[in-house]
Amino acid sequence: MTVQTQINSKMQEAAQSGFLSWTVTVDHKRIGILYLLSASLFFLLGGFEALLMRIQLAQPDSRFLSPDLYNQIFTMHGTTMIFLVVMPLAAGFGNYLIPLMIGARDMAYPKLNALSYWTFLFGGVFMYSSFIFGGAPNDGWFSYAPLTEKLYSPTHGIDFWIMGILLLGFATTIGSINFIVTVIQLRAPGLTLTRLPLFVWTMTVTSFLAVFSLPSLTTAVLLLFLDRQLGAHFYNVGQGGSALLWQHLFWFFGHPEVYILILPAMGIVSEVIPVFSGRPLFGYPAVVFSAIAIGFLGFTVWAHHMFATGMPSSALLFFAADSFLIGVPTGVKIFAWLGTMWKGKLRFATPMLFAVGFVAMFLIGGLDGIHLAVVPVDWQLTDTYYVVSHLHYVLFGGAIFGIFSGVYYWFPKITGRRLQEGLGKWHFWLMFIGMNLVFMPMHILGLEGMPRRIYTYSPGRGWEIWNFIETVGALIIAVAVLIFIVNFLTSLRKKATNEADPWDGFTLEWKTASPPPVYNFAEIPSVRGRRPLWDEKHPDQADWKAGE
Amino acid sequence: MKIFHKCALLTWLGIVLSGCGPSPTFLNPASSIAEHEAKLYNNILIMALVVFVLVEICLIWILIRDRNPKGDNTPPKQIYGNSKLEITWTVIPVLLTVILFVMTVQTMQSVAAPAASANDINLHVIGHRWWWEFDYTNLGIKTANELHIPVGATVQITLDSVDVIHSFWVPQLSGKTDVVPGQTNHMWLTADQTGVFIGQCAEFCGLEHALMRIKVFVDSQDDFNAWVSNQQKPAVQPQTAEEQAGFEDVSGVCASCHSLNPAESENKVGPNLAHLFSRSTFAGATYDLTEENLRGWLHDTQLMKPGNIMSIKLAPEEIDRILAYLKLLK
Repeated sequence: MTVQTQINSKMQEAAQSGFLSWTVTVDHKRIGILYLLSASLFFLLGGFEALLMRIQLAQPDSRFLSPDLYNQIFTMHGTTMIFLVVMPLAAGFGNYLIPLMIGARDMAYPKLNALSYWTFLFGGVFMYSSFIFGGAPNDGWFSYAPLTEKLYSPTHGIDFWIMGILLLGFATTIGSINFIVTVIQLRAPGLTLTRLPLFVWTMTVTSFLAVFSLPSLTTAVLLLFLDRQLGAHFYNVGQGGSALLWQHLFWFFGHPEVYILILPAMGIVSEVIPVFSGRPLFGYPAVVFSAIAIGFLGFTVWAHHMFATGMPSSALLFFAADSFLIGVPTGVKIFAWLGTMWKGKLRFATPMLFAVGFVAMFLIGGLDGIHLAVVPVDWQLTDTYYVVSHLHYVLFGGAIFGIFSGVYYWFPKITGRRLQEGLGKWHFWLMFIGMNLVFMPMHILGLEGMPRRIYTYSPGRGWEIWNFIETVGALIIAVAVLIFIVNFLTSLRKKATNEADPWDGFTLEWKTASPPPVYNFAEIPSVRGRRPLWDEKHPDQADWKAGE
Repeated sequence: MKIFHKCALLTWLGIVLSGCGPSPTFLNPASSIAEHEAKLYNNILIMALVVFVLVEICLIWILIRDRNPKGDNTPPKQIYGNSKLEITWTVIPVLLTVILFVMTVQTMQSVAAPAASANDINLHVIGHRWWWEFDYTNLGIKTANELHIPVGATVQITLDSVDVIHSFWVPQLSGKTDVVPGQTNHMWLTADQTGVFIGQCAEFCGLEHALMRIKVFVDSQDDFNAWVSNQQKPAVQPQTAEEQAGFEDVSGVCASCHSLNPAESENKVGPNLAHLFSRSTFAGATYDLTEENLRGWLHDTQLMKPGNIMSIKLAPEEIDRILAYLKLLK
């Protein structure tokens, strides 16, 4: 042992015990856990905000929240769920799992990894501190200019939003570069790109999307910062600025962002469904290719968020056509999941329930999205509750269900204990029913002419009954989340069983102990196929023999 | 397809009417534009429902049939893929996108604005936080929040905003068009039946976005002509002493933001008052225009619409005088 490695191992020991050790850790697994826990707390905050909105809208002409507070709440709900929940949850899984799945000892840049997490946490706390410093951001998660100019949004809410977004963008960018380098550089021997687990693939595509789309958001908010603080006029129409410049810059980030949110969940589902069907993923190359195709197409559709802004027909048709095309790789994925289950031997443990729920619900979000890509229909439905419904079928029925599938699936790996199946089933079914009660009637409200982002509405437009049902659904989701919390806390107090491979898994993370040691693998495994553990358990039917 | 379309329309109407009161839904169209949009919506809905039902049935069938029997630990047959199947389920969606594209182009052509003609009504819509200014440029009428158009006429609209982005939307008449500061947008309207149609601002524009509503009266040609000739008249002169006093208050206090001239060319920050009481609502088409409501409004505008820019403190006797005059402005 050289002096340097001795010092390193001493530092590692010091970094492993005690509460404070969590603040200096550079272990990818501990950073992953920090990400998952912090994002879960933000999930509770964002969910609480959703409940407040649903209570406000449960009846017409409600005065439960003031208009000002309602606007802050819906802005923070969207900002939270996107930047502080779904993105960091994916980052948490990525951090914890990617080194394990590719047979590495850590991420490529462990210290950058810690920087990324702490910047994210600070960005989130900073944004929320605006509630005590004079008012939260209040112009929606996409904060359209010129409403965000100082003249129209004089409180510091938008300034908090700008700084928060810059911090979170920075955290995501370095995190993404770390993922990309890790996947390119640190794969175990034999783990070629064509053998990578799907979750690793989708996280890699996600990371590329983030690296290439975030600069546009950074530019957009920096220009806004200059407008607000230094009197520039990029978006200030009176002084020759452009109102639509913001929308182009924002959505050039904002649409890839949608795939940043959903691709990791697709990756999780693509891990869970094969394991619980006892089968390899059906058409692996096509699924990988479809993830990459979604990544590329995601950069060419941003203006479908702007169909009503007065664009020329040629531009409208270009963006409509590209948006339709995204349906093709998305369809490939859905059919691949069905193909994987077809004549498999399905085991319905909770991870599988959430994965199947993902497929069933995400399908709805894909199909109602067609209406929003069809220009003349979008002219009717954009900025209504139809959009709110669509995006929640994708982000709640999709991303959140996928993430819960992952939580139930990898909880035994992270803690050495399973979550309880009975409570898990209650959680799943209540959430499934609750989400459909909340989000299905939103389709009808959108068709009935209810715009999004209104803090109240008048009776007599046929909107009352659906709004009321939605609030009931939201309460059911809240109960489901409570059940999950109970499950989480009580399962943690149970005696650890430390099963290395509780689900009869396929990928390398199940090869090591639960929880894994700091160094992950005593010996770096070598890989001959896409399912190294399957090959080990079924040498006669090994994938590499079947010529995958 | 026709019969499917009728069925889908009826189903939706059933859903829509089962609520409490008539909804401003484009699925119950009052113009050829909204009708084309509704047809397209329904046709795509049918396509989507077919896909939805097939996939979900397939999914549920697999879930029931392929459940692993208890105690069975042998793995199923390992299948890695099937090129023919995979090509099929890639090509079919590609074909569907072509169909979607053709349908989109067709409907966009059907709802495109007709060329301008001398018989058109030209309307300038100006978005304010949080009310709508309507300027009939070739009739010399300025009004607010409530629009009158004759049935069957072509209304050519230009849209501008004095502050932030708004979006003009009356679902039963047409899809929405954003009202963007620094960029003049165009749209058109036509209505094929008389009636009252409601809409509202569809782009979040700040505090009172929810109370920036629109009411469109589609009148018969005669009713419309009568409305126009009334609106073109100058504001009524006061008769009694109280009305005279109120008129002086209005000219003094209110006139810096509101005009009493229906053809006012200067852009005021508040709605034109020349024929205030010919309207049925006020404050962004939010409250019924009754003496009682208006008294409440003048007493404290911030209570009824917190954050609106009209802030004024009036003594009760001033309010009485002002109301006495305003009531004349039919």
